[in-house]
Amino acid sequence: MSPSVNEYVNQFEIHQKLVAMVSDFLGFDASGLMAFLVFAVTAFAIVNVMALIGGLGTYAERKISADIQLRQGPNRVGPYGILQFLADGVKMIMKETIYPAQADRALFNLAPVLALLGVFATLAVVPFSSGFTLANLNVGVFYLIGVGSLVGVAVFLGGYAANSKWSMLGGMRGASQIISYEVPVTITTLSIVLLAGGLSFGHFVENQGGFPHEWFIFHNPFTFIGFFVFFVGMLAETNRAPFDLPEAESELVSGYHTEYTGMRFGLFALAEYIEVFVLCGVAVAAFLGGYKVPFDLGNGVIFVEKLGLPAIIGKNIGQVLQLGSFVTKTLALYYVVIWVRWTFPRIRVDQVMTICWKYLTPIALFNLIGVVFWMYAFDNQSLWEILSHLGGGSHGGHH
Amino acid sequence: MISLPSYLFLSFALFIAGIAVMVARKNIIAIMLGIELILNSAALNFAAYTRFANDNIDGHLMSLFIIVIAAAEAAVGLAIVIRFFQIKETIHIDDAAQLQN
Amino acid sequence: MFNDTFFLLSAGLTLAGALGVVFTKNLMHACVMLLGTLFGVAGLYACIGADFLAASQLVIYAGGVVILMLFAVMLTGGSSDQANKFGIEKIAGMGNTKTYIFAGVSVAVISLTLLKIMAGYMKTFEQGELPPLTSTVEEIGTLLVTDHVLAFEISSILLLGALVGAAAIARPRKG
Repeated sequence: MSPSVNEYVNQFEIHQKLVAMVSDFLGFDASGLMAFLVFAVTAFAIVNVMALIGGLGTYAERKISADIQLRQGPNRVGPYGILQFLADGVKMIMKETIYPAQADRALFNLAPVLALLGVFATLAVVPFSSGFTLANLNVGVFYLIGVGSLVGVAVFLGGYAANSKWSMLGGMRGASQIISYEVPVTITTLSIVLLAGGLSFGHFVENQGGFPHEWFIFHNPFTFIGFFVFFVGMLAETNRAPFDLPEAESELVSGYHTEYTGMRFGLFALAEYIEVFVLCGVAVAAFLGGYKVPFDLGNGVIFVEKLGLPAIIGKNIGQVLQLGSFVTKTLALYYVVIWVRWTFPRIRVDQVMTICWKYLTPIALFNLIGVVFWMYAFDNQSLWEILSHLGGGSHGGHH
Repeated sequence: MISLPSYLFLSFALFIAGIAVMVARKNIIAIMLGIELILNSAALNFAAYTRFANDNIDGHLMSLFIIVIAAAEAAVGLAIVIRFFQIKETIHIDDAAQLQN
Repeated sequence: MFNDTFFLLSAGLTLAGALGVVFTKNLMHACVMLLGTLFGVAGLYACIGADFLAASQLVIYAGGVVILMLFAVMLTGGSSDQANKFGIEKIAGMGNTKTYIFAGVSVAVISLTLLKIMAGYMKTFEQGELPPLTSTVEEIGTLLVTDHVLAFEISSILLLGALVGAAAIARPRKG
């Protein structure tokens, strides 16, 4: 397991040669500089790809909603209308920036930037593949929860700064909803932390396998319930329907971004779509096996040994497979999020709090205790392992 | 650069900023911001001494308990502020001069 | 070198935020400045290898305390009576020149005292060899349930009391 992208790159001879060459050329030890460059290039790539995914998210949302409602959806710009998000972006950049007369200008400008900042900061720990992770922090999931709460502050400030009643109500609803649903989401994540034995995403993924029966979601009944608690909490934290109370069109016009125009509104929308992707990625890493590929194809050893490929090509094929596994699962979950949005009616504002505090939080606590009990009673074996011991006894191993 | 004196200076700066806020402001919430600054400076000191002048990490736990107490203090303090506002319709600290009602 | 850069950025954020909290005249801006300070302090923790502490700082302060503060500002805003019930003009909520002079005097006194103590300590302090930065999560987890288990349990009771107490105090009463 490579802790981060830099150490993954470092294991190749060609990169070491390159570092030595640059060091000779510059006259000092350039390994720090090269590490910085690797990080910078990777971060740049991730941010840009994520912005693209955020843009394509708006397109996917329209197309899937159109599909569900038996409409066409965007179909004019580019093939199947796939360039619609670029046209939208150009439109937003060209639009005039309007400040409400009573607005608090500084906070009004700060809020969308803060939302995007919080979301982009979470990208640092998302495990795209074993080598393509910016930083495998040993407090990864804790960091992600902490930085992700910047979005709540941004929603609140956006609602406050515009000085409009709709924005104010939307911002208050958004912030209260986000900090409330952090409780069940965090407690559910804690049960996975217990199973994985560590707070980093590396621990999460490495303790799962490539096949569904090795995933944490099927580890025991409590994590199976926990996944759905996490998913509902995730929908509420990203303000997606049926929990989109902060921007409920029928009552609040557009909630906390009512008064935003042009690219500032675009930044809020982009932050929302990227946050959905990131949280889907967290759900995949915590419950659905993350980047693991069946038969250990991911570490690329098999390509090197059986096919006789050079190490650099074999390893990178493994990385691409891992990346494909992660992105496929995440996008499938992303599809479910959009699907849920267009098939469920919005719930009432008191029901949001009832669901969080009266149902999800007790269920999450029950799950946490249940997972602890399971680990104690069955010696940390998964349901599948117990069943296969009972059935054939062919494995028969002592744990 | 990263040394005990620089950390102590930062902690000191946070502390006097907190004192200044607490003395200069008359709004209860603003005073609580000052209290948060002071608690942060204390926690920072514990962490700094743990790194530079100690070989176990008990100081980290002290910082952790300070953070926990700060959270509890903020919750109860703000609840009192909101209750005070419901009764007096102001959060000016000079209005909190009665022991009853 | 990158550690130093990160330290400078965090220290700058901390100091700028603290100065902003002291000098701004807008309570909402002060809360946002405090958020900057808290993030800066989290960065400072990260610089000295207190990773768990940095993450807790982010979770508890950025996610909890600052949003609570913002909520309290929203729920208590809107009062602007300039005189108290004796008809004496009140000092503005965010202070005026007089209170700032008081603050300056008290800061001067306290900082003189503190700097004197710190200078005496700094003269005799010798920096030894620093151990490499390691993960503190496991160690903190072990210490929490062994050496510090009493403080841990007491803080859990404190948090429960704070939760119930805050809900009981802030609840609007009839009549």
